[in-house]
Amino acid sequence: METLILASESCDIKNEVVCAPANVLELFKLPTWFHIGGLEFSRSTFLLFLASFVVMGILWAGLRNPKLVPGKMQLIVEDLVGFVRDGIARDIIGPEGTKYVPYLLSLFLFILVGNLFEIVPFTLYPITSRMAIPALLSLITYVIFVFVGFKKNGIRYFTDIAWPKSVPVALRWLVGLIEVVSTFFLRPLTLAVRLFANLVAGHLMLTLMLGSAAFFLVGVGDIGLKSALGLGWFGVGVGIYLFEVVVAVLQAYIFTLLSAVYIQTSVHPEH
Amino acid sequence: MTGDIELLKGAIALIGYGLGAVGPGIGIGIVVGNAITAMARQPEMAGTVRTTMFLGIAFTEALALIGFVLFFIA
Repeated sequence: METLILASESCDIKNEVVCAPANVLELFKLPTWFHIGGLEFSRSTFLLFLASFVVMGILWAGLRNPKLVPGKMQLIVEDLVGFVRDGIARDIIGPEGTKYVPYLLSLFLFILVGNLFEIVPFTLYPITSRMAIPALLSLITYVIFVFVGFKKNGIRYFTDIAWPKSVPVALRWLVGLIEVVSTFFLRPLTLAVRLFANLVAGHLMLTLMLGSAAFFLVGVGDIGLKSALGLGWFGVGVGIYLFEVVVAVLQAYIFTLLSAVYIQTSVHPEH
Repeated sequence: MTGDIELLKGAIALIGYGLGAVGPGIGIGIVVGNAITAMARQPEMAGTVRTTMFLGIAFTEALALIGFVLFFIA
Protein backbone atom coordinates (compact mmCIF):
# COMPACT_ATOMS: atom_id res chain seq x y z
CA MET A 1 0.00 0.00 0.00
CA GLU A 2 2.73 2.45 0.77
CA THR A 3 4.23 1.74 -2.62
CA LEU A 4 1.37 3.59 -4.21
CA ILE A 5 2.00 6.69 -2.16
CA LEU A 6 5.75 6.51 -1.93
CA ALA A 7 6.88 5.01 -5.17
CA SER A 8 6.37 8.10 -7.22
CA GLU A 9 8.87 10.10 -5.20
CA SER A 10 11.51 8.70 -2.96
CA CYS A 11 10.05 9.46 0.42
CA ASP A 12 11.62 8.67 3.76
CA ILE A 13 8.67 8.26 6.09
CA LYS A 14 10.77 8.21 9.19
CA ASN A 15 12.26 11.62 8.63
CA GLU A 16 9.79 13.45 6.36
CA VAL A 17 6.67 14.96 7.88
CA VAL A 18 4.51 14.65 4.78
CA CYS A 19 4.94 12.48 1.69
CA ALA A 20 2.83 13.44 -1.29
CA PRO A 21 2.05 11.38 -4.42
CA ALA A 22 3.39 12.98 -7.57
CA ASN A 23 0.32 13.13 -9.73
CA VAL A 24 -3.35 12.28 -9.54
CA LEU A 25 -3.13 10.80 -13.01
CA GLU A 26 -1.18 7.83 -11.68
CA LEU A 27 -4.29 6.67 -9.88
CA PHE A 28 -6.17 6.42 -13.16
CA LYS A 29 -3.69 5.82 -15.97
CA LEU A 30 -2.36 2.44 -14.98
CA PRO A 31 1.08 1.35 -16.28
CA THR A 32 0.98 -0.63 -19.52
CA TRP A 33 2.01 -4.24 -19.30
CA PHE A 34 2.62 -5.01 -22.95
CA HIS A 35 1.89 -3.79 -26.46
CA ILE A 36 0.14 -5.65 -29.24
CA GLY A 37 0.53 -3.79 -32.50
CA GLY A 38 -0.19 -0.18 -31.64
CA LEU A 39 -2.48 -0.95 -28.69
CA GLU A 40 -1.40 -0.87 -25.08
CA PHE A 41 -2.63 -3.45 -22.59
CA SER A 42 -2.73 -2.60 -18.92
CA ARG A 43 -4.70 -3.67 -15.88
CA SER A 44 -7.60 -1.45 -16.90
CA THR A 45 -7.86 -3.18 -20.30
CA PHE A 46 -8.07 -6.58 -18.64
CA LEU A 47 -10.68 -5.29 -16.22
CA LEU A 48 -12.68 -4.05 -19.20
CA PHE A 49 -12.73 -7.52 -20.74
CA LEU A 50 -13.45 -9.03 -17.34
CA ALA A 51 -16.52 -6.80 -16.94
CA SER A 52 -17.98 -7.93 -20.25
CA PHE A 53 -17.27 -11.59 -19.42
CA VAL A 54 -18.90 -11.19 -16.00
CA VAL A 55 -22.03 -9.71 -17.60
CA MET A 56 -22.20 -12.50 -20.15
CA GLY A 57 -21.56 -15.06 -17.40
CA ILE A 58 -24.37 -13.74 -15.23
CA LEU A 59 -26.90 -13.82 -18.06
CA TRP A 60 -25.77 -17.25 -19.25
CA ALA A 61 -25.80 -18.77 -15.75
CA GLY A 62 -29.27 -17.50 -15.03
CA LEU A 63 -30.97 -18.41 -18.27
CA ARG A 64 -29.15 -21.63 -19.14
CA ASN A 65 -31.91 -24.13 -18.25
CA PRO A 66 -35.01 -22.06 -17.73
CA LYS A 67 -37.51 -23.89 -15.55
CA LEU A 68 -41.09 -22.97 -14.81
CA VAL A 69 -40.30 -22.78 -11.09
CA PRO A 70 -37.06 -20.83 -11.16
CA GLY A 71 -33.93 -21.73 -9.27
CA LYS A 72 -31.91 -19.11 -7.38
CA MET A 73 -29.72 -17.82 -10.21
CA GLN A 74 -32.60 -17.70 -12.63
CA LEU A 75 -34.64 -15.75 -10.10
CA ILE A 76 -31.95 -13.13 -9.71
CA VAL A 77 -31.43 -12.72 -13.44
CA GLU A 78 -35.16 -12.62 -14.08
CA ASP A 79 -35.46 -9.88 -11.47
CA LEU A 80 -32.73 -7.85 -13.17
CA VAL A 81 -34.17 -8.29 -16.64
CA GLY A 82 -37.68 -7.54 -15.37
CA PHE A 83 -36.42 -4.41 -13.62
CA VAL A 84 -34.94 -3.02 -16.83
CA ARG A 85 -37.75 -4.20 -19.09
CA ASP A 86 -40.70 -3.07 -16.94
CA GLY A 87 -39.29 -0.28 -14.81
CA ILE A 88 -37.20 1.43 -17.45
CA ALA A 89 -38.20 0.44 -20.97
CA ARG A 90 -41.94 -0.09 -20.72
CA ASP A 91 -42.69 2.58 -18.14
CA ILE A 92 -40.82 5.28 -20.01
CA ILE A 93 -40.84 4.45 -23.70
CA GLY A 94 -44.21 2.70 -23.65
CA PRO A 95 -45.20 -0.43 -25.58
CA GLU A 96 -42.48 0.06 -28.21
CA GLY A 97 -39.91 -0.06 -25.44
CA THR A 98 -39.50 -3.80 -25.83
CA LYS A 99 -37.44 -3.20 -28.95
CA TYR A 100 -34.81 -1.36 -26.93
CA VAL A 101 -34.62 -3.76 -24.00
CA PRO A 102 -31.50 -5.64 -25.22
CA TYR A 103 -29.55 -2.42 -25.56
CA LEU A 104 -30.76 -0.97 -22.25
CA LEU A 105 -30.15 -4.25 -20.42
CA SER A 106 -26.57 -4.57 -21.68
CA LEU A 107 -25.97 -0.91 -20.89
CA PHE A 108 -27.30 -1.25 -17.35
CA LEU A 109 -25.44 -4.47 -16.52
CA PHE A 110 -22.16 -3.37 -18.05
CA ILE A 111 -22.12 -0.01 -16.25
CA LEU A 112 -23.26 -1.68 -13.01
CA VAL A 113 -20.46 -4.26 -13.09
CA GLY A 114 -17.94 -1.65 -14.21
CA ASN A 115 -18.87 0.67 -11.36
CA LEU A 116 -18.86 -2.13 -8.80
CA PHE A 117 -15.27 -2.94 -9.75
CA GLU A 118 -14.36 0.18 -7.80
CA ILE A 119 -15.24 -1.43 -4.48
CA VAL A 120 -14.80 -5.16 -5.03
CA PRO A 121 -11.59 -6.31 -3.27
CA PHE A 122 -9.31 -7.60 -6.00
CA THR A 123 -10.12 -5.22 -8.79
CA LEU A 124 -10.29 -1.87 -6.96
CA TYR A 125 -10.42 0.27 -10.10
CA PRO A 126 -13.56 1.52 -11.84
CA ILE A 127 -13.29 1.01 -15.57
CA THR A 128 -15.80 3.80 -16.14
CA SER A 129 -13.38 6.30 -14.60
CA ARG A 130 -11.48 6.54 -17.87
CA MET A 131 -13.42 8.90 -20.13
CA ALA A 132 -13.26 6.58 -23.16
CA ILE A 133 -15.91 4.22 -21.85
CA PRO A 134 -18.62 6.66 -20.76
CA ALA A 135 -17.93 8.67 -23.92
CA LEU A 136 -18.42 5.62 -26.13
CA LEU A 137 -21.60 4.49 -24.36
CA SER A 138 -23.01 8.01 -24.53
CA LEU A 139 -22.10 8.19 -28.22
CA ILE A 140 -23.97 4.94 -28.91
CA THR A 141 -27.05 6.27 -27.10
CA TYR A 142 -26.76 9.54 -29.05
CA VAL A 143 -26.59 7.75 -32.40
CA ILE A 144 -29.56 5.59 -31.43
CA PHE A 145 -31.85 8.40 -30.36
CA VAL A 146 -30.96 10.72 -33.25
CA PHE A 147 -31.37 7.90 -35.77
CA VAL A 148 -34.71 6.83 -34.28
CA GLY A 149 -35.87 10.44 -34.20
CA PHE A 150 -35.18 10.99 -37.88
CA LYS A 151 -36.47 7.59 -38.92
CA LYS A 152 -39.81 8.00 -37.16
CA ASN A 153 -40.48 11.66 -37.85
CA GLY A 154 -38.40 12.57 -40.85
CA ILE A 155 -37.10 16.11 -41.01
CA ARG A 156 -39.96 17.26 -38.77
CA TYR A 157 -37.93 15.89 -35.84
CA PHE A 158 -35.40 18.67 -36.28
CA THR A 159 -37.86 21.41 -37.25
CA ASP A 160 -40.11 20.64 -34.28
CA ILE A 161 -37.17 21.09 -31.95
CA ALA A 162 -35.76 24.21 -33.60
CA TRP A 163 -39.11 25.94 -34.12
CA PRO A 164 -41.37 24.78 -31.27
CA LYS A 165 -45.02 25.44 -31.95
CA SER A 166 -45.99 25.47 -28.29
CA VAL A 167 -44.13 28.73 -27.56
CA PRO A 168 -45.28 32.31 -28.39
CA VAL A 169 -44.03 33.36 -31.82
CA ALA A 170 -41.71 36.08 -30.58
CA LEU A 171 -39.71 33.64 -28.48
CA ARG A 172 -39.64 30.69 -30.82
CA TRP A 173 -36.18 31.40 -32.18
CA LEU A 174 -34.65 31.65 -28.71
CA VAL A 175 -36.31 28.56 -27.25
CA GLY A 176 -35.59 26.69 -30.47
CA LEU A 177 -31.90 27.59 -30.26
CA ILE A 178 -31.73 26.50 -26.63
CA GLU A 179 -33.51 23.26 -27.46
CA VAL A 180 -31.21 22.44 -30.39
CA VAL A 181 -28.06 23.05 -28.36
CA SER A 182 -29.48 21.14 -25.42
CA THR A 183 -30.69 18.15 -27.42
CA PHE A 184 -27.88 17.66 -29.89
CA PHE A 185 -24.86 18.84 -27.93
CA LEU A 186 -25.49 18.93 -24.21
CA ARG A 187 -27.32 15.62 -23.87
CA PRO A 188 -24.53 13.28 -24.98
CA LEU A 189 -21.90 15.41 -23.27
CA THR A 190 -23.58 15.54 -19.89
CA LEU A 191 -24.57 11.88 -20.07
CA ALA A 192 -20.92 10.91 -20.39
CA VAL A 193 -19.50 13.47 -17.98
CA ARG A 194 -22.05 12.66 -15.26
CA LEU A 195 -20.94 9.01 -15.10
CA PHE A 196 -17.27 9.88 -15.52
CA ALA A 197 -17.18 12.63 -12.87
CA ASN A 198 -19.01 10.60 -10.25
CA LEU A 199 -16.70 7.64 -10.66
CA VAL A 200 -13.49 9.69 -10.77
CA ALA A 201 -14.47 11.57 -7.63
CA GLY A 202 -15.38 8.34 -5.83
CA HIS A 203 -12.16 6.55 -6.78
CA LEU A 204 -10.05 9.54 -5.79
CA MET A 205 -11.77 9.91 -2.43
CA LEU A 206 -11.53 6.22 -1.62
CA THR A 207 -7.85 6.11 -2.52
CA LEU A 208 -7.03 9.20 -0.48
CA MET A 209 -9.03 8.26 2.61
CA LEU A 210 -8.05 4.62 2.80
CA GLY A 211 -4.51 5.31 1.64
CA SER A 212 -4.12 7.87 4.41
CA ALA A 213 -5.55 5.37 6.86
CA ALA A 214 -3.08 2.70 5.78
CA PHE A 215 -0.22 5.20 5.84
CA PHE A 216 -0.99 6.41 9.35
CA LEU A 217 -1.79 3.01 10.78
CA VAL A 218 0.91 0.91 9.19
CA GLY A 219 3.55 3.03 7.56
CA VAL A 220 4.48 5.35 10.36
CA GLY A 221 6.35 2.65 12.18
CA ASP A 222 5.38 3.33 15.77
CA ILE A 223 2.22 3.36 17.82
CA GLY A 224 1.37 6.83 18.91
CA LEU A 225 -0.69 9.84 18.00
CA LYS A 226 -0.07 9.42 14.27
CA SER A 227 -1.45 5.87 14.35
CA ALA A 228 -4.57 7.07 16.15
CA LEU A 229 -5.18 9.50 13.28
CA GLY A 230 -5.24 6.44 11.04
CA LEU A 231 -8.32 5.14 12.82
CA GLY A 232 -10.12 8.39 12.12
CA TRP A 233 -9.24 8.21 8.43
CA PHE A 234 -10.33 4.59 8.36
CA GLY A 235 -13.73 5.50 9.78
CA VAL A 236 -14.22 8.20 7.16
CA GLY A 237 -12.97 5.77 4.51
CA VAL A 238 -15.57 3.18 5.47
CA GLY A 239 -18.29 5.82 5.31
CA ILE A 240 -17.18 6.88 1.82
CA TYR A 241 -17.03 3.20 0.82
CA LEU A 242 -20.68 2.68 1.74
CA PHE A 243 -21.58 5.87 -0.11
CA GLU A 244 -19.75 4.59 -3.18
CA VAL A 245 -21.86 1.43 -3.18
CA VAL A 246 -24.95 3.62 -3.51
CA VAL A 247 -23.31 5.87 -6.12
CA ALA A 248 -22.21 2.89 -8.25
CA VAL A 249 -25.70 1.41 -8.50
CA LEU A 250 -27.41 4.79 -8.80
CA GLN A 251 -25.18 6.05 -11.63
CA ALA A 252 -25.78 2.88 -13.63
CA TYR A 253 -29.53 3.29 -13.14
CA ILE A 254 -29.48 7.00 -14.03
CA PHE A 255 -27.45 6.43 -17.21
CA THR A 256 -29.89 3.76 -18.39
CA LEU A 257 -32.92 5.80 -17.35
CA LEU A 258 -31.74 8.89 -19.17
CA SER A 259 -30.94 6.84 -22.29
CA ALA A 260 -34.53 5.55 -22.18
CA VAL A 261 -35.89 9.08 -21.65
CA TYR A 262 -33.93 10.42 -24.64
CA ILE A 263 -35.16 7.55 -26.81
CA GLN A 264 -38.69 8.29 -25.62
CA THR A 265 -38.47 11.95 -26.61
CA SER A 266 -37.37 10.81 -30.07
CA VAL A 267 -40.12 8.24 -30.43
CA HIS A 268 -42.90 10.44 -29.01
CA PRO A 269 -41.80 14.02 -29.64
CA GLU A 270 -45.18 15.49 -28.81
CA HIS A 271 -44.51 15.05 -25.04
CA MET B 1 5.78 37.40 -9.14
CA THR B 2 4.68 35.77 -12.39
CA GLY B 3 5.53 32.39 -10.88
CA ASP B 4 3.06 32.99 -8.06
CA ILE B 5 0.28 33.77 -10.50
CA GLU B 6 0.97 30.48 -12.26
CA LEU B 7 0.59 28.58 -8.99
CA LEU B 8 -2.73 30.28 -8.24
CA LYS B 9 -4.34 29.17 -11.51
CA GLY B 10 -5.39 25.80 -10.13
CA ALA B 11 -6.81 27.37 -6.97
CA ILE B 12 -8.83 29.95 -8.92
CA ALA B 13 -10.20 27.22 -11.20
CA LEU B 14 -11.30 25.32 -8.12
CA ILE B 15 -13.02 28.38 -6.61
CA GLY B 16 -14.71 29.00 -9.95
CA TYR B 17 -16.14 25.50 -10.05
CA GLY B 18 -17.27 25.75 -6.42
CA LEU B 19 -19.17 28.96 -7.08
CA GLY B 20 -20.66 27.45 -10.19
CA ALA B 21 -21.99 24.43 -8.32
CA VAL B 22 -24.16 26.49 -5.97
CA GLY B 23 -26.88 27.22 -8.54
CA PRO B 24 -27.43 23.68 -9.82
CA GLY B 25 -27.42 22.39 -6.25
CA ILE B 26 -30.28 24.69 -5.27
CA GLY B 27 -31.99 24.06 -8.60
CA ILE B 28 -31.97 20.28 -8.25
CA GLY B 29 -33.28 20.65 -4.70
CA ILE B 30 -36.22 22.70 -5.97
CA VAL B 31 -36.97 20.25 -8.80
CA VAL B 32 -36.91 17.17 -6.58
CA GLY B 33 -38.85 18.88 -3.79
CA ASN B 34 -41.67 19.84 -6.12
CA ALA B 35 -41.63 16.35 -7.61
CA ILE B 36 -42.05 14.83 -4.17
CA THR B 37 -44.98 17.15 -3.47
CA ALA B 38 -46.57 16.19 -6.78
CA MET B 39 -46.11 12.49 -6.10
CA ALA B 40 -47.67 12.89 -2.67
CA ARG B 41 -50.69 14.80 -3.95
CA GLN B 42 -51.47 12.45 -6.82
CA PRO B 43 -49.89 9.01 -6.32
CA GLU B 44 -51.31 7.58 -9.55
CA MET B 45 -49.17 10.02 -11.57
CA ALA B 46 -45.99 9.05 -9.70
CA GLY B 47 -44.44 7.34 -12.73
CA THR B 48 -44.81 10.32 -15.07
CA VAL B 49 -43.71 12.72 -12.35
CA ARG B 50 -40.64 10.62 -11.66
CA THR B 51 -39.66 10.59 -15.32
CA THR B 52 -40.10 14.35 -15.65
CA MET B 53 -38.12 14.82 -12.45
CA PHE B 54 -35.16 12.95 -13.92
CA LEU B 55 -35.37 15.01 -17.08
CA GLY B 56 -35.34 18.21 -15.02
CA ILE B 57 -32.39 16.96 -12.98
CA ALA B 58 -30.48 16.20 -16.18
CA PHE B 59 -30.97 19.74 -17.44
CA THR B 60 -30.02 21.54 -14.24
CA GLU B 61 -27.10 19.23 -13.59
CA ALA B 62 -25.72 20.04 -17.02
CA LEU B 63 -24.45 23.41 -15.84
CA ALA B 64 -22.59 21.93 -12.89
CA LEU B 65 -21.00 19.34 -15.18
CA ILE B 66 -19.93 22.02 -17.68
CA GLY B 67 -18.24 23.77 -14.75
CA PHE B 68 -16.54 20.52 -13.76
CA VAL B 69 -15.19 20.02 -17.27
CA LEU B 70 -13.96 23.61 -17.47
CA PHE B 71 -12.16 23.13 -14.17
CA PHE B 72 -10.07 20.45 -15.79
CA ILE B 73 -9.49 22.52 -18.91
CA ALA B 74 -8.20 25.49 -16.90
